[in-house]
Amino acid sequence: MSFKQARWEGDGCLEKLVFELGRKSRRGSFFKSDVAEEVEIPKKLRRASLGLPEISEPDVVRHFTRLSEMNFSVDSGFYPLGSCTMKYNPKINEEMAALDGLANIHPLQDEDTVQGALELMYRLERMLAEIGGVSRVCLQPSAGAHGEFLGMALVREHFKLKNEKRTEVIVPDSAHGTNFTSAAMAGFNVVVVPSNDKGRVDLDALEKAISNKTAALMLTNPNTLGLFEFDISKIAKMVHDAGGLLYYDGANLNGIMGKARPGDMGFDIVHFNLHKTFSTPHGGGGPGAGPVGVVNGPEKLLPTPVVEYDEKKGRYYFDYDRPNSIGKINSFYGNFGVLVKAYAYILTMGADGLTEATETAVLNANYLMKKIQAIHGFSLKYDSETPCKHEVVISAEHLKGETGATARDIAKRLLDHGIHAPTYYFPPIVPESLMIEPTETESKEELDNFVRAMKAINEEARKSPERLRGAPSSTAIGRLDEVKASREPVISWMTFMAKSPRGNNI
Amino acid sequence: MMAYKTPVGLYYSKEHEWVKLEGNLAKVGITDFAQSKLGDVVYVELPEVGKAVLQATEQKSKEMEIGAAESIKAVSSIYSPISGTVKEVNEALKDQPELLNTKPYDEGWLCVIDAKDAAADLKNLIDSKSYEAHIATLE
Amino acid sequence: MGHRYIPNTREIRDEMLNEIGFSKVDDLFSDIPDGARLKRNLELPAQMSELELKRHLSELAAKNRSFTSFPVFLGGGAWQHYVPAHVRSIVQRAEFITAYTPYQPEISQGMLQALFEYQSLIAELVGLEVANASMYDWASAVAESALMCARVTGRKKFIVPKLISPEKTSVLKNYSEGPGLEIVSVGHDPETGEMNLEELGEKLDSGTAGVYIENPSYLGPIETHVEEIAEMTHKAGALFVVGVNPISLGILRPPGDYGADIVVGEGQPLGNAVSFGGPTLGIFACRNEQKLARQIPGRLIGMTTTIDGKTRGFTMVLQTREQHIKRERATSNICSNQALCAVAAAVYLTSMGPEGLREVATISAANARYAMKKLSKIDGIQTPIFKSSHFNEFTLKIKSGQKMEDFNKELLKNGVHGGRPVGKEFPELGEVSLLCTTEMHTKGDIDGLAEAAAAAMEGKR
Repeated sequence: MSFKQARWEGDGCLEKLVFELGRKSRRGSFFKSDVAEEVEIPKKLRRASLGLPEISEPDVVRHFTRLSEMNFSVDSGFYPLGSCTMKYNPKINEEMAALDGLANIHPLQDEDTVQGALELMYRLERMLAEIGGVSRVCLQPSAGAHGEFLGMALVREHFKLKNEKRTEVIVPDSAHGTNFTSAAMAGFNVVVVPSNDKGRVDLDALEKAISNKTAALMLTNPNTLGLFEFDISKIAKMVHDAGGLLYYDGANLNGIMGKARPGDMGFDIVHFNLHKTFSTPHGGGGPGAGPVGVVNGPEKLLPTPVVEYDEKKGRYYFDYDRPNSIGKINSFYGNFGVLVKAYAYILTMGADGLTEATETAVLNANYLMKKIQAIHGFSLKYDSETPCKHEVVISAEHLKGETGATARDIAKRLLDHGIHAPTYYFPPIVPESLMIEPTETESKEELDNFVRAMKAINEEARKSPERLRGAPSSTAIGRLDEVKASREPVISWMTFMAKSPRGNNI
Repeated sequence: MMAYKTPVGLYYSKEHEWVKLEGNLAKVGITDFAQSKLGDVVYVELPEVGKAVLQATEQKSKEMEIGAAESIKAVSSIYSPISGTVKEVNEALKDQPELLNTKPYDEGWLCVIDAKDAAADLKNLIDSKSYEAHIATLE
Repeated sequence: MGHRYIPNTREIRDEMLNEIGFSKVDDLFSDIPDGARLKRNLELPAQMSELELKRHLSELAAKNRSFTSFPVFLGGGAWQHYVPAHVRSIVQRAEFITAYTPYQPEISQGMLQALFEYQSLIAELVGLEVANASMYDWASAVAESALMCARVTGRKKFIVPKLISPEKTSVLKNYSEGPGLEIVSVGHDPETGEMNLEELGEKLDSGTAGVYIENPSYLGPIETHVEEIAEMTHKAGALFVVGVNPISLGILRPPGDYGADIVVGEGQPLGNAVSFGGPTLGIFACRNEQKLARQIPGRLIGMTTTIDGKTRGFTMVLQTREQHIKRERATSNICSNQALCAVAAAVYLTSMGPEGLREVATISAANARYAMKKLSKIDGIQTPIFKSSHFNEFTLKIKSGQKMEDFNKELLKNGVHGGRPVGKEFPELGEVSLLCTTEMHTKGDIDGLAEAAAAAMEGKR
């Protein structure tokens, strides 16, 4: 198969910007009203001019359609971006979230007029609780990091209520960057523990790090190397014995769903990434949803409102009367539209389907691990004995030593094969890392195709390394000057015009 | 191995900062080796004038920081090779962070520190020859 | 039989297992210790067919009453506005919706340019030069603005109006606790509902990091002393933050014009469905000054060229501010944002143009004026409670001794959904609700509201 991305090309640019397309008095919309009422805005608050572009509707559609054609997606092809679980996003789910009765309801409507929405949230909460092995779930967080922040706020509140002063949160060196920041934002000092030579948390180091100042340990399991922390029960005991809480980063739940549950492993607070494990689309960066589940203790602290069911009345309702609640972390109830899609996904998969998804995702990752490891120049830095879970982190260290080709070069060259780059240079503990997550969406044929691409690139690195350094060439545009972009950032049309008023290129 | 500039007459820290002493005033910057490892610097965080800083030791603390250099995808803290008070910072780096890459020993200097006890601190620094030997072990 | 979303059938799986030296799929999970294994099936419903799913969700949806099926006069942070068909059609394009964050700029120019356009359109709308690629919602944007003010000024006090939504108050509290910010509120002029400048003056001091106002304010009045507030704030060395409903900026002066350093707001009404309050779209913009732009939270898309300098392109910039590099010293932990909602906003604003947005804003405001006129003719009803200009949200007070909740139930019986009761948060105001009109409301809807309100007051005065 060969790949050539669309490239709409103008003079020194791709598709023009909307600001360069407008012409005075063109219109892309029209509104009128049957209410004849003058609007009076105090003079000093009146808007004098508004510099939005003036474009007709067909041109708006064409412009954005062209842009979309210069964007790779899961629907276009293989997207093995590690840690991001780029699985297929079912079309029916989009249709369901857009149903009039779900898309066109206001969050402050009388509860009697939104019983269906409340029921959906109630049911989704219980499904997630079953999958995660937790007792209650808050659906408010808009993303994984938002969930982490809520989790850390719950930890803080938990100890405040117990009158204990605990100031530290422990995070492994292989953790997602968000863990460090979320803990810091909630006011904790971050203590980093190293990984051992098996790629798991170093228990001796953990022992030393744990103290009566420890509020929580944040752990991703399987971790970012795609490896299951098999000492999890010991770790949980160590943290709990010291009076701390255990936090589960759910980014990698697709590696164990239906096979093991964070709640059963001893985690007290768990976040889910609905835009990863539960197939809601990433939308080019969001919206996602990062519900947070809790086991017993912190339950009473969960944000308001929680959805309850009154059996006598046969009616769902919002419960705001929770004196220990930390309050809110979202304007309303979370990204409801995303919740609808996750709910639809769980129902169309069913219990067996979800487990099959995990099994296949893990099999696909192990298949790639074996096949790619066999290619000279690629290796596994840590444990190559035990099976990986949903993703595998390959090191291109040896290839770099032999040829100079970096993980980044390989990633960029993959784009020319119509394959999205894996995550690279993460986790930072693996040199020249390529983090590959195939998900259950990919067929054996697609995986074999990927292995062939990796082989071809490996050979190319030896024979014609310049082609790697020059890659990609089949995409809408080649490598960009990122240094220039960050040294003198041009972040809007306004800053661009201030720099270059005639609209020339920067 | 690449050849890195290590001008004679400067004092070096093993963490790749240099010091040029004029009386009590220490001009401080990062070495050619350091800038080459950082890659293209896109932003330099400067210390506040008046900040009291400590000479860096193995165990780092906030008091030892005299700024940070950012490339596109990394941030590296810069630690003071000498104790004292920040007297002046190189404002030119605000608009031309690339000076750190192109002229690390002159126009790319970072700040001037009014040294508290220069003589004592210098004992913990090394000369050009030793520094050259030091970076040779790192390559 | 395999699941329809999973191409590797049991047979293929066996083949693959065999190839990599495993006998059964469970062997791949042998590293999970026994104690941590789930030894039963998940207790979840069995797989539904697509048709069953559609039936089920349609049933759930039918238990809700959508605002397209009866007039609903709610605003307060989520607003119903018309989403043109082509906006939804573009946003539903698979290339946008099923892409991840544009980490690989070469293959993601479409999303990058669309987000750059979003940033630019927001910058234009609010009158500042820099906007990020989105926050979660208005509430988290306010909270992040408070943190940013503290980082920039090195101070800890953040001043907010007393009259803001309870959601924002709560979110702000949760975000400010970690870094130890002090949130101080300033009351309003009882006559006009605008911020009490004397009280602001008393509370502003050398420890103030920022002053936040909303325009229009939460209960509807348009703040007119904005220049004075800006001046007072800046004199104290603090930053001025303004929260907006972006639709209002079709006719209201942009905050950047009257001294705002940071503008936040809720971008949902720009081409996004209300969807029971989410996905939302947090707007975050600031002045183009190094000390501010480098402290802005969230993703930023910047313009650059290819390495040969020949072709313009877009890429994420200033990433060192973000969590994956600076970790515990990052400006924010935000990673996934609301990118697709931002694309919707970009398509919406491009389609509106200055004239379309002016029309939507004008109709929304005109409807509110008409509604206030009609409602205030009813005995026992006062609307609005503040003597000032309003945009499209306004207060309604009942003086019949009824509870607002009961009054609203009466309206509901007559097929109209009333406003949001605000008496619980602000008991000093009495039995008051916050209503909202947009271009979605017809004259008939508003006449219906007035009739229902008159009926609800009948015999209760």
